[in-house]
Amino acid sequence: MKQTYEEVEETYIKTLKGRTALKRLIKDMAKNRKQTAILIASVMITAIAATFSPLAIGGAVNGVASRSFSTIFDFSLLFISLALIQFGSNRFRVISSTILAQGTVKNLRDRSFQSIQHVPISFFSKVKAGFLISRMTNDGETLGEFLTFQIPSVVSGMTTVILSIAIMLYLDFDLTLYALIVLPFLSIFTISLQGKVRKNYLRTRRTIAAITGNLAENISSIRSIKAFNVESYTEDKFDGLNADNLNANIKASRLSSLYGAIVRIIEYTGIAIVVLAGAIELKAGLISIGILVAFIFYVQEFFDPVIQLSQLYNSYQSSIVGVGRIYGIIDSKKEVVSDGQITISSLRDSIVLKNVSFSYDDSNALRDINLTIRKGENIGIVGHTGAGKTTLSNLIMKFYVPQKGEILVDGKNIMDINTESYRNLISPVLQEPFLFHGSIYENVKIADPAMAEEEIERLAKEFNLNRIFDKLPEGMETNVGELGRNLSEGQKQAIAILRALCRNPQIIIMDEPTSNIDPYSEKFIFQSLEKFAREKTLILITHRFSMISLVDKIVVIQDGSIVESGTFPELREKKGIFSQMYDILYGSKGEGID
Amino acid sequence: MSENKKSFLKKIKGVFEPLLFSREYLKNKKWVIYLIIGFAVLSTATRLLVPIIIGAIIDSLELKNFNAIYLEIEYILILAVLSALASFVVNFGAQYSSQIYAYNLRKKVVNSMVKKKTKFFQDKTSGDLLSRTTMDIDASRNFIMNSLSQLIPTILIIIFAVGYLFYINMFYSIFFLATVPVLIFIGIKFQRKQRPHWMKIRDTYGVMTESIQEDITGQRTVRSYLQEEPQIDKFTGITDTYYGEYLEVANLRGFYNNLMPFIISAAATAVIFYGGYTSIVARSEVGGLVAAVNIFTMVTFPVSFLGRLIAFSENARAGIGRIKGVLDRDMDEDVLTGGDFPGSNAISLRNVKYKRGDREILKNVDMEIPSESFVCLTGETGAGKSSLVNLIPRLEDPAEGEILIGGVNVRDIPLSSLRKNIAIVPQEISLLSGTISENIIFGRKNITEEMAKKAAKVARIDDFIEGLPEGYSTIIGERGITLSGGQRQRVALARAIASNPKILILDDATSSVDPETELAIFSRIRKNIAGITVILVSLRYSAMKYASTVYELENGEICELENIDGLNYAMEKEGFENEADL
Repeated sequence: MKQTYEEVEETYIKTLKGRTALKRLIKDMAKNRKQTAILIASVMITAIAATFSPLAIGGAVNGVASRSFSTIFDFSLLFISLALIQFGSNRFRVISSTILAQGTVKNLRDRSFQSIQHVPISFFSKVKAGFLISRMTNDGETLGEFLTFQIPSVVSGMTTVILSIAIMLYLDFDLTLYALIVLPFLSIFTISLQGKVRKNYLRTRRTIAAITGNLAENISSIRSIKAFNVESYTEDKFDGLNADNLNANIKASRLSSLYGAIVRIIEYTGIAIVVLAGAIELKAGLISIGILVAFIFYVQEFFDPVIQLSQLYNSYQSSIVGVGRIYGIIDSKKEVVSDGQITISSLRDSIVLKNVSFSYDDSNALRDINLTIRKGENIGIVGHTGAGKTTLSNLIMKFYVPQKGEILVDGKNIMDINTESYRNLISPVLQEPFLFHGSIYENVKIADPAMAEEEIERLAKEFNLNRIFDKLPEGMETNVGELGRNLSEGQKQAIAILRALCRNPQIIIMDEPTSNIDPYSEKFIFQSLEKFAREKTLILITHRFSMISLVDKIVVIQDGSIVESGTFPELREKKGIFSQMYDILYGSKGEGID
Repeated sequence: MSENKKSFLKKIKGVFEPLLFSREYLKNKKWVIYLIIGFAVLSTATRLLVPIIIGAIIDSLELKNFNAIYLEIEYILILAVLSALASFVVNFGAQYSSQIYAYNLRKKVVNSMVKKKTKFFQDKTSGDLLSRTTMDIDASRNFIMNSLSQLIPTILIIIFAVGYLFYINMFYSIFFLATVPVLIFIGIKFQRKQRPHWMKIRDTYGVMTESIQEDITGQRTVRSYLQEEPQIDKFTGITDTYYGEYLEVANLRGFYNNLMPFIISAAATAVIFYGGYTSIVARSEVGGLVAAVNIFTMVTFPVSFLGRLIAFSENARAGIGRIKGVLDRDMDEDVLTGGDFPGSNAISLRNVKYKRGDREILKNVDMEIPSESFVCLTGETGAGKSSLVNLIPRLEDPAEGEILIGGVNVRDIPLSSLRKNIAIVPQEISLLSGTISENIIFGRKNITEEMAKKAAKVARIDDFIEGLPEGYSTIIGERGITLSGGQRQRVALARAIASNPKILILDDATSSVDPETELAIFSRIRKNIAGITVILVSLRYSAMKYASTVYELENGEICELENIDGLNYAMEKEGFENEADL
C-alpha cells in the first residue's frame, strides 16, 4: 500500500532522519569557513559592544555627576564608537549570513538539479514533477529565510544565555536555581505540544502542496477546462483545497499564538519567583540588595533569548523537513546503467535483443522479445496501440533496463557500455516531440552546438522540411514557446526530425515521427529520408504504412510479443496480422467496422 | 515644490502599498483589524509597564518594604496574564487576517485565470504562472502578517518614547525629532535602491520554477542529446543570478538598515553631550538625562525593525506587481443574457479572419457545415486547422467575420451553453491525476458513471479499462498507471462524448490510435449520438474515409471541394496502386 504524503513526511520527522539532515546541513554550511568565521565573529562583536554600551552611558553620567567635561567627552566618544562598531559588525553579520544561507540554498538547488539529470528515467514515473519543483523552489525558499534570519539569532541567543547563566551563577548560586526553576516546565510544555505542532505543521504542508499541485494541473489543462465548460467545477475544487489550507493554517497559528501567550506567563512567573526568593533571602540577610537588583536584570536578559529559541523550534521543523526532502533528491540513486566502463564510438555489427521482457509496475509490456538489428538495416516495428512498440524503443535507448534477458550491442551487454558514448550514436525522434523554450535554431542546435545556421537551413532544405518552416513569418527564428506551444503539432515534429538528422547519427529511432504532418509534406520528407537512411541503421516505429517503403524488414508486435517478421512482400504473402492491418487501412470503406 | 511633495508622499505610500492592496481581500474582516489595533495598544502598555514595576520593586527592596513587594509581585502576575492575552490576540489576529488575505487572493486569482481568454496563456509559461500564484502571494502575505503584528506596537513605542522625552526635557525631544527626516530619507533611499533587486528576485524565482519544469518534462530528450551538462549550466546560471540579487539586497540591508539605529545612537550621543554640558552648567540632577538616553536605546530596535519592514515591503510589492499581471486582464467576453443553444447545429463561417500576434493565420474563411454531418478539415502542417476549429467554441475569437450556429452568432450564445454543446478534443491532451472515471466525467455534474461507461465504449477504451484490476477506479497520471499515447487519446475522446454534445470537434485527436480502431470509433459515434455534427481535423487519408465532405485549408482560405466525400478524396490524393482492389 502506498503511503500518503502526510505519513511519509511524518515518519520522516519522527525518525532520526530529520536530525541527520540538520547535521548534514550544518556541515554543508560550515564548509564556507571564512563566512562562518565572519558570521560568528560579527555576532559576538555585536553582542560585546552592546554589553559595553550601558557602561559607556554610565561613565558619561558619572562624568556629569563629577562635573568633568573631559570624562563626558571620553565616554560619549566611547559610546558613539561602540555604536559605530555595532554598525560595522552588524553589516558583516547581515552579509555573511546571507552568503551562508542563500549560498547553501543555491548549492542544494544546484545539486538537486544535477541529481535529476542522472536518476533513472523510471524515477519520474514514481515521483511527481510538482513534488520535485516544490521541494527545490518552495522548500529552498523557506530554508533560505530560516537560515538568513534565525541562524544569527540562534548564535547570539546562545551566547547571551550562556553568559547570563555564568554571571548569575557567579552572583548567587541559590538564586540561579530559583531563576532556572521554570525551565523544566517550559521544556515539558514545549515538548508536550510537539505532537500537535507536528500534526498541524504537516497539515499545512500537505494542504499547500495540494494547492500547488492543483494549480499546476489547472494551468496545464486550461484549454480543456474552458472547452468542457468546467470553470466553476475547477473553481469549487480549488476553493475546497484553498479552504482546507486556510483552516489548517488557522489551526496551526492558533496553537502557536497560544503557545507564545503561555510562554509569556511562564516567563513572568519566573521573574516573580526570583523576586520573591530574592526578597526572602534578603530578609534573611543572605544576600545584598545590589546583587539582587543585578540579578533581576540578568533574569530578564536571560529569558528573552530562551523564549526566542523555544519558538524557533516550530520554524525549525518546517525547514528541516524541507531540507531532508532536498537531500532525498540529491541522494537519489543514479542511473545504474551509466556505470558501464566500455565506451563505443560506432556501431560495428548489430544490436541484439535476447529474450527481453519488461513490465511497468503491474502491466506486462514486453515478453520474450528476440530481435536482431544489423548495422545499416532499416527496420520497421508495427503493431496496434499499446502493443509495446514505444517500450521497445525505450529499452533500446537504455531509458529502461529489461527485467529479463539482455540487450547486446556488438556482442557486449548494454549494461557494460558507457551510456553517454552509446546515446551519442543514436538520434531519437520521440512520439511526443519535446522542445525547449527558444527559437527553432536553438532547438536544433542542441544536437550540435557548433552547427552554423546556414548549415541548418541547408539540411532543412535537403530533407524537405523547409516548406513547413517557411510558413512561419520569422522562419527558423520563431520562438517556439513553452513546450513548443506556439507551433502546431506537425511543426513540432518537423523540428524534432530536423534535430535528429542534424546530429548525423549512426542509428535513428523514429517513433511515429510524422503522425501530425500532412501526407503531402510527409511524402517529401520520406523521399529525402530514403537516401539518408540507406547509410544508417533505422528503427521506425509506426502503425501507419505510408512510410513502409523506407524499411527492409518489418517486425509486428502484438500484446508485447513479436508475432510476425519479414519483408513487405513476405508479410503480404503470409496473409497474417500485418496483411490484415494493411487491408483495413487501404481497404474499402466500412471494412473492419462493427 | 508641490510636485516634489507629491512624489515624496508617493514614495512613503509605496511602503504601505501591500497593505492598501490587501484591503480588498480583508473587506469583511475589518473587526479583526480593529481588535488587533486595540490589543496592540494593550500589549505595548504592558510591555512599558514591566520596567516601571521592576523599578518600583527595586525601590521597595531598598526600603525593605516587603508587603509592597508581595503586592508588586501580584502586579507582575496580573501583567503576565494581560500581556499573554494581548499577545495572543495580536499574533493570532495577524496570522488569521493574513491567511484570509491569501485565501481570498488565491481564490480571485484562480477565478480570474479560468475566465481568461486562451490568448493570455499563449506567451506565459506554466512555471511562471505557478510561482505567481504561490510564492508571490506568500511574499505579500508574509509582509501583511508582520506589519499587522508588529507595526502598531513599534509605532506606539516610538510615539511613547517621543512623548516621554518631551516630558523630561523639550530640548532632548528636539534631538530625537531631528533624526526623523534623516531616518525617512534613509528609508526611502533604501527602499528605492532595493526595489529593482526584489523585482529581479521574484522574476528569477519564476524562471527557476519554469526551467525545472521544462527539464523534467523533457528528460528523455535531454538525455538522448546528452544535454545534461548544458542544462545544469543553464540552471546554475539562474541560481547564480538569484543568489547575486539576494547578495545585493544584503549589501543594501547591511548598510541602510544598520545605519538607521546608528543615527539614533548618534542622536543619543548628542543628548549625552548636550545634556551633560547643560547639567554641569545648570547644576541640575542627572536623573532626567539617564532616562532620556535609556529611551534612545529603547527605540533603536523598533527603528531597525521598521527598516526591515521596508525590505519585506519591497519583496511584497514586487510579488503583488506580478500577481496583478494575472488579475483582471484579457478576460473572456461572455454573454450574460441571451438564449439557449440553437436547435439546429449547422455551422457557418463567414469571412473569418484570424491573427496570432502579427501572423495572419486565417485570411478569409467561408464554410457551411450542414447539420448532423460528418465532415473533415484537412490542410498542410501549420495551415491553421486547429486555429479554425478553436473559433467555434470561442476558445479564440476571430479578428473579423462571424461564426453562426443554426443561424445564431456564437457571440450571442452564453459561453456556458456554447461549450456545453460543443465538445472539442485537442491535439495536446491533458489528463488529470485521478481515476479514469474522474477523467471522463471531468467535474461535470450532469454526467453519471453510466454515461461515462457508455462513452468509454464508444471510444473503444472500455475493454482496456475493464481489463484493469480496478477498472474505472484505476488511478492514472503521475501516481498511477501510465497510458500509451493512443489510450490517452481515447480517454480524452470519451470525456468529450460523455456529455452527448451536439457538435464534436476532433482535432487530430486520434493520431495515435490505429486506423482500424479509429474507423470503428467514428462509426460508433454516429450510431450512438443522435443528431451530432462531427468535424474531424485530420491529415490522414485513412481517417477521412468516413467524411461526407472534405474541406481543405490552404493559405488561410478554404478550398471548395464540393461533391467529394472522404473516400474519393483520399483515393484521389493517394493515387492508390491497388485502387482496383476497392
